Amino acid sequence: MSTPTKNNQESRLDLSKWAGLPNKLIAIGLVTVVLGLVVPAWHKTFAYSYLTAFMFFLSLMLGSLFLVLVHHLFDSYWIVPIRRFLEHLSCAIPVMAVLFIPIALFAGSIYPWMSVDGHDHALDVKRAMYNPWSFYIMSAALFGVWYWLSNGLRSASLEQDRSGAASCTVTMRRYAAVGIFIFAITLTLAAFYWMKALEYQWFSTMYGVYYFAGSVWVTLATTYVIALVLKNTGHLAPIIQKGTFKDIGTLFFAFTVFYAYIHFSQYFLIWNAAIPEETFWYVKRENGVWWSVGMLIIFGHFFVPFLSLLRIDAKHCLPVMVPMVVWAWLMHYADMSFNIKPVHNPDGSGISFGSLVLSLGTMAGMAGLLGKWFLKEFLAHPPFPQRDPRVAETVGVYVEPVSASSSRGSGQ
Amino acid sequence: MSGVGRQYGVLAEFDTPADVMAAAEKVRDAGYTQWDVHTPFPIHGMDEAMGLKNSKVGWFTFCGGMTGFFGGNLMIWFMNSFDYGIVVGGKPLYSPMFAFPVSYELTILLSAFGSLFGMLFLNRLPRLHHPLLKNKRFAKVTHDKFYVVIETADPKYSEDETHALLEETGSSHLEVVKE
Repeated sequence: MSTPTKNNQESRLDLSKWAGLPNKLIAIGLVTVVLGLVVPAWHKTFAYSYLTAFMFFLSLMLGSLFLVLVHHLFDSYWIVPIRRFLEHLSCAIPVMAVLFIPIALFAGSIYPWMSVDGHDHALDVKRAMYNPWSFYIMSAALFGVWYWLSNGLRSASLEQDRSGAASCTVTMRRYAAVGIFIFAITLTLAAFYWMKALEYQWFSTMYGVYYFAGSVWVTLATTYVIALVLKNTGHLAPIIQKGTFKDIGTLFFAFTVFYAYIHFSQYFLIWNAAIPEETFWYVKRENGVWWSVGMLIIFGHFFVPFLSLLRIDAKHCLPVMVPMVVWAWLMHYADMSFNIKPVHNPDGSGISFGSLVLSLGTMAGMAGLLGKWFLKEFLAHPPFPQRDPRVAETVGVYVEPVSASSSRGSGQ
Repeated sequence: MSGVGRQYGVLAEFDTPADVMAAAEKVRDAGYTQWDVHTPFPIHGMDEAMGLKNSKVGWFTFCGGMTGFFGGNLMIWFMNSFDYGIVVGGKPLYSPMFAFPVSYELTILLSAFGSLFGMLFLNRLPRLHHPLLKNKRFAKVTHDKFYVVIETADPKYSEDETHALLEETGSSHLEVVKE
């Protein structure tokens, strides 16, 4: 307030008073970790809350990576304004790898297959996948591959900011063309090893794409709100368009339907075949509170967003979209809980105080850590791709094409 | 009923998308309602320049989709559970699970019908003739010219003012279209 002349763009959102938030969240997270380790009755609850929070944030990271990949695959222009922060989010691999360490350490008590003695036919046939060696090597390999892919894409993008060379776009396209297959395989493996393996007896070939659909869905919601905040703080104001929000909203709407389609298909096939090896998974999730969570997913994850976003203008109507983003976070958390927590609480006895505290605490801690990391990365680099060939098109400016002869002269 | 020779409207020709866009904004701001822009290809932002609201076709789509979804469920319930119950695979006589895929397909089918027929209805199509179609010059709308047409049916239409407005927009050619 002492320097009123500084802000001639007074309408900009000032987030300086929130600067301490990530650290506070990390502190909450650390307290939660201590509580989880100290209170013996909370050990298991803590482990599964932690895994749920981890899978939630992994969704954001992989969803961002997917959006960056499809941007290059389809050579789309509308995503250019938001690509840089998606690149940062997808590069959060080292943070996720650190967050994975506790899961790796306590895997023995989180994943029941690790403590099966003797014969279990359901496990014996899957031993190639579910044995400690595979688990640890594969987990390390997944982080390695994601690190290579996301950093390869981002460094080419940052290189283009400096050089403006078209060859960077070509490099990113090459990464994307190979990367989309690697992405599909690695995401499926992650969902199988870290989430589906909780109930190793179960079969569902759709599980990978199911995790993918929910992940991209929640990432698009998050993208919407990050783009909105960064527009209001002025970082993306020069480039972001009204249409950008409409496009993110439309894709979010599409993934609302896609997720419902996939989850319904998984349920329907299992329901129709009625084989005990498959049905037990859903039968368990009809107990107690899990029945309500299942209903919440049907109506809250699909019908509420579907019906409220059906109108074309809802996608850039902030009073609809902003609550929807918060709702999407809640729904994705409910979805992750529905997948993970019944292993620990098969009877679906009500939400205990301990599980509430530990769930909120682990979420806060990871959000703080990733938020802090994201802000550091975001502020260290230009806020959007500076010299992407599609920038002019994004902002709706027509640039006269350079004729073939002069481009040959001035090229390189 | 003089019929032949009655004025349908006034047609203004433009050479570039930018010119016709600027002209559309002027006509919109002047408060005309019975008018249209004709171009060889879609121009982004034209609906806003013309002041057009969101199309009403969506409501037809929505009603079609709803009819499909609930109609499909009703049909399956009536046939397999109410009128002539058949037990298949030990499943309930009616369940939203197995009724869903068919209802979902019907939702898509009937919402597509809703979109198509709603669009035809709102555009008053099919029709056999339109006054613009016998205008020789207008044929270039499928090639490289852009047109604004203000109808005489517009309450704000007056021969002098409307002509003056279109001249002001920098039209390269003005012409009265006969019915």
